[in-house]
Amino acid sequence: MGFIKGTASFVRFSVEGDLPDNPWDFIAERITTFSFRDIDDTYDEDSLGWVSIHNMFDTDFNFASYAAGNYVCLTMRLDERKVSGAIVKKFVAKEEERIKKEKEIPKIPRAMKVEIKERISAQLLRKALPVPSTFDMCWDLEKSSLLFFSTNQKAQSLLEDLFKETFDLTIMQQIPYLCGEQLLSEEEMDKLAVITPDIFV
Amino acid sequence: MDLVDLIAEKRFLGQEFLTWLWWKSEERGGVVALAEEGDIVVVFEKHMLLEFGEGDSNEKLICKGLQTELQEARTGLIMGKKLEQARIQLVHNDYEWNFTLAAALMEFRNVKLPKTAGPDNVNDPEEQEGMVLERIFLYDELVRIVLSLFKSFLQLRVGDAWRQELLRVREWVAQAEK
Repeated sequence: MGFIKGTASFVRFSVEGDLPDNPWDFIAERITTFSFRDIDDTYDEDSLGWVSIHNMFDTDFNFASYAAGNYVCLTMRLDERKVSGAIVKKFVAKEEERIKKEKEIPKIPRAMKVEIKERISAQLLRKALPVPSTFDMCWDLEKSSLLFFSTNQKAQSLLEDLFKETFDLTIMQQIPYLCGEQLLSEEEMDKLAVITPDIFV
Repeated sequence: MDLVDLIAEKRFLGQEFLTWLWWKSEERGGVVALAEEGDIVVVFEKHMLLEFGEGDSNEKLICKGLQTELQEARTGLIMGKKLEQARIQLVHNDYEWNFTLAAALMEFRNVKLPKTAGPDNVNDPEEQEGMVLERIFLYDELVRIVLSLFKSFLQLRVGDAWRQELLRVREWVAQAEK
């Protein structure tokens, strides 16, 4: 569950840097460039891009459906082909047995083992169906802040990269100390920089 | 300092805030006064997570229970554990949020927003936008109130009144032993 329905988990980021003078045109163009590309009919291992928050198959964003007031709301979609280690192990062992019989050798040389593992992994990966995951985000253009609806660190790091690539802007997670910079005066902030943990008992 | 170091070094700040907020909410029976907002309801409920130590020696203590005084959690504080997560009910201007605050990184988890009517027609783009804006408003409002509480804490924490405040928090923690 994400931003649109039900309960949600989120973290805050600040958005560092400036948008060009015509921000909405720039945003529209960049979102289209970095929209999600389907890999169902290819052999690509993964794909990452933007889709509509209302529909993960919508990458056209008709009527700028990502815009709501001063906010840009998008879903980051990641499709990944994955094969479990146990499956790779099984098919590698099977292939090794086949080769041993075919070549009439008692043991597979190390170099060949590596080649078999690589080949089998690649074959299995091609057969695997891409597993989709989606993560919503909501960017406040006025306050230059962003809510990201996942506490998963891998997803957060993917967002940092995709956001940077798409809009050429850096995002920074707003941990408590950094929130302090927005909330306190300069003098108070100097004091905050040097305080150490206190004992509450 | 890069973000990773900053997170490690200032981890205590969010945890101290959460502990202080727990005390603050119990001080007046679940009501906390905010300078610009007036009284708001802040109730710690059902679920808490405390932690102790770092890295490999990190230990966690989960306390759950309906309407409990979370006595065990307070005993955890006495043992030197830090309050890392708490389930909080927050009520302000007829809106009620339920959420878990993860203190070290200030993550808002399992946020339940106040109930709203919802759109009549989900396929109408204008109604969709209205619904999105309403939800954004409710998320922003929650963040704004939590940050106001955090600001009150920070100003106290860096000010002269903190020593006095800390003595009162310690007194409250010590009551768990009685």
